[in-house]
Amino acid sequence: MIGNVPRRQRDGGLAAQLRVLHALVLREMLTRFGQSRVGYLWLVGEPVMLAVGVSTIHWITGHGLPNGVPVFMFYGLSYAPFFMFRSIVSRNAGAINGNRSLLYHRSIHLHDLMASRTVVEFTAILPVVSGFVLGGMLFAGVFPANPGLFLLAMVLSALLGHGVGTLVAALIVIFEPLERVVHPLTYLMMPLSAAFGMVDSMPPEAQKVLLSIPLAHVNEAMRAAMWGDKIVSHYDLGFIAVWVLILNFLGIAALRAVRHRISMAA
Amino acid sequence: MIEMIDIWKTFESHKGGHHTILRGVHGRIRKGDHVGILGRNGSGKSTLMRILSGVENPTRGRIRREMSISWPIGGAYGLLSQVSGAANARFISRLYGTPLQQTQDFVEEFSELGRFFYEPINTYSSGMVSRLLMGLSFAVDFDCYLVDEALSTGDVRFAAKCRHMLEVRRENAAMILVSHNASHVRQYCDTAAILRNGALEFYEDVDEAISAYQGL
Repeated sequence: MIGNVPRRQRDGGLAAQLRVLHALVLREMLTRFGQSRVGYLWLVGEPVMLAVGVSTIHWITGHGLPNGVPVFMFYGLSYAPFFMFRSIVSRNAGAINGNRSLLYHRSIHLHDLMASRTVVEFTAILPVVSGFVLGGMLFAGVFPANPGLFLLAMVLSALLGHGVGTLVAALIVIFEPLERVVHPLTYLMMPLSAAFGMVDSMPPEAQKVLLSIPLAHVNEAMRAAMWGDKIVSHYDLGFIAVWVLILNFLGIAALRAVRHRISMAA
Repeated sequence: MIEMIDIWKTFESHKGGHHTILRGVHGRIRKGDHVGILGRNGSGKSTLMRILSGVENPTRGRIRREMSISWPIGGAYGLLSQVSGAANARFISRLYGTPLQQTQDFVEEFSELGRFFYEPINTYSSGMVSRLLMGLSFAVDFDCYLVDEALSTGDVRFAAKCRHMLEVRRENAAMILVSHNASHVRQYCDTAAILRNGALEFYEDVDEAISAYQGL
């Protein structure tokens, strides 16, 4: 048996990169949710609980929405994607400290740590969002106006969060106390994200501020994709894409710049 | 072959200033070599190990790697501590692209952990972690195994098993064993080097190296 050594498959480039990512994604699920099958349910369960809770509060307090948009569904579909964005930012920000020991494997690069976490957060939110959409179709007869745009906006939101989280992770290497302010900052992003209020219903000054923030455009795009012409939305996909590129470029450049500062000795 | 060319490593001190740990390390490791690196605590063994494995870069100088090198086998480096040995075996298998079931079976048999193979490794003793690490690294066909103290905890029988494994692979694989313990180096290596004052001195003969080391 001992002579019978497993052999590595030799592959290069993309295949090797995907292999590393696959291993990291599975390990991410495993360490976060334990080894039981039920654990995976929690990945979905946490955002479901929060989304249902938030929508129920709005439903009970009876905030009226135009053109018969169902309140429960409206807030659920606002909260779930925002929850994803927030967890991508905070999970990525903590990715280096949580995984230092894995860097001993030469095939794992710093950015792979963030990429695997983003993939996990993104896939976790998909069933939650699908649940709300499906529920809307069955019980309220609401069909998404533009499912493709909705998915695109989700992807853009994830990439935006990925860029911010990666950049913050690199900054934490230089200045550790930053780690402590990440969580409050992601909360303070809430009003600026326009996730819970339509930009069109705000005063003009507030609109101006909000529309300078890419995250607000993302949430407006999601609402446009879901509710179509039942609401008025303001967004510019090009503007979001530019910010996605800038933030991810900065994030990856910053990671490269701080790589030599990460000591395994600590 | 692995070649270390004028490796320097300096750390910034927390109180300001610098510590230079490695001051121009040279050396060559060829296929089939079993080299022991002896050094007192604080001589820079672990630093050299991290640089050899590629997880840290030298401040100056460079490493030519023409062989695939394992991660440093020691401590709990590169392990997922909250999950089982089996889950770690699958992780290593996915990461390095070895067949999943074969890898897990190999590690389970080699590491002799019994039912603990399916328990989280933060419940293991240090000897058990070492056995798992040896199993995990042997499950991947590296050209060079970097062993950092992991061989020092096993019993006689497990030591013999590791020696046998290294012998079987000698045609293809080298080993670098870093230790402060001369008897481990005698047990596993055919050449040795001493790390002192930030430089490596190679000896053709292990006994010669050991007596020089003990005379330090």
